[in-house]
Amino acid sequence: MQPEDRLDIERLGGFAGMGGPGARIRSTGSLPGHALSADERQHLAALFGGAQPATGHPGAADGFRYRLTLHPAGGAAPRVVELPEAAVPERVRDSVHDELI
Amino acid sequence: MRMICTCHIVPKDVLERLAGDKKLSAELRQAARASARLSDGIRLLRDQAGALTQLAHEAGAHLVQLAATPLVTVYDCKNTQTLPGTPVPGAKTSKDATAKRTFAETTLVAQFYKTVFGRNSIDDAGMTMMSSIHFGKGYNNAMWNGSQMVYGDGDGQLFVDFTKGDDVVGHELTHGVTQHSLQLAYSGDAGGLNESLSDCFGSMFRQWSAKQDVNAADWLIGADIMGPAAKAKGYKALRNMAKPDDKAALAPQPTLYSQITPGMDPHYSSGPPNLAFCTACKTLGGNSWEKIGQVWYAALTTSGAHPNMTMPQFAARTRQLAAQKYAAQPAVASAVDAGWKKVGL
Repeated sequence: MQPEDRLDIERLGGFAGMGGPGARIRSTGSLPGHALSADERQHLAALFGGAQPATGHPGAADGFRYRLTLHPAGGAAPRVVELPEAAVPERVRDSVHDELI
Repeated sequence: MRMICTCHIVPKDVLERLAGDKKLSAELRQAARASARLSDGIRLLRDQAGALTQLAHEAGAHLVQLAATPLVTVYDCKNTQTLPGTPVPGAKTSKDATAKRTFAETTLVAQFYKTVFGRNSIDDAGMTMMSSIHFGKGYNNAMWNGSQMVYGDGDGQLFVDFTKGDDVVGHELTHGVTQHSLQLAYSGDAGGLNESLSDCFGSMFRQWSAKQDVNAADWLIGADIMGPAAKAKGYKALRNMAKPDDKAALAPQPTLYSQITPGMDPHYSSGPPNLAFCTACKTLGGNSWEKIGQVWYAALTTSGAHPNMTMPQFAARTRQLAAQKYAAQPAVASAVDAGWKKVGL
């Protein structure tokens, strides 16, 4: 991931089932690549490159998931990954806002 | 970069790449190397914990009871996402209303499971019931992380403190019970069943606490955690078990099994089994936990580990159990049958 890229974020699931087909809460955010540290960009680049995040406990339930869409500068096709909350950098999680629709 | 909980969350290959990245400081590379080693250990520990749960379940009975009554503990995350946080001493009488409430409601859920179903805590062996409160900043969620409950304070607009919902506390604890019994997966039919069982037992706990019969019950999930902004728009709860497609629910759901498709979030696909349970309870009348609740509990705890159980299989199991347990009261099996027929099963 490069500083010129853009990252769109959608928070899903949780006790409230955010992002479901009829859900009345929209939970989204967006960050320019330069708003992230080099370490965070490198971490995300690895995930967009196919690295598998550690899975949580098999019995865990109601945790958030995050759908991240990477829009590369220069117009290349966007890439999408869906991750458990624990794999998402704090700055990315904090960029998401919940709103009623 | 700060990740929540523990270092094992960062994929090991990423840590190894960081450890070998000469552009990073020696200190950072050393930290990444150490984390990669820890990651292996934690992964092994988690695998072994899962295997132990499976083994204990397959053994059929716990050889040793940890305690006759489970210890209830509360930890304060102090608005961080570091688990478990710091212990809250004397949570029962804490000046922190959230801590006091969490202790009281968790203790009551333990009593509910013991009194109504004869179950000793989450694992039926006296497991300590551990909760972490004030998780994150304005965090709009509550969850079961595989070993404990975690509660956010809500943002004060869409949601208030998640511990204010007794059904929320019952819901999260029931995920633990499911983990120690049916061991349902968290996707597909099994995921929807997993969520539904938590809603069913969360609602039953709410009704039992308030001494409400099936007609007095509101059958809502999350009614007490709705924030002022949500209420101002007319939303009264997250889900309505009696009317899953209720427009006044923040997360309306399908009402028929045929509407469920692969890949659906389990909080969405739980609609039909929620409606089946509610319909069965209303058809029979009385208190939900006395007969239909007993059938659902038996299906949850006497079917063995069945991670990929489908909704038709669960429906068949409850029909079978209702007929067996209440052979002299055919109205129970008829009510269960009516519940599942209502959702197309």
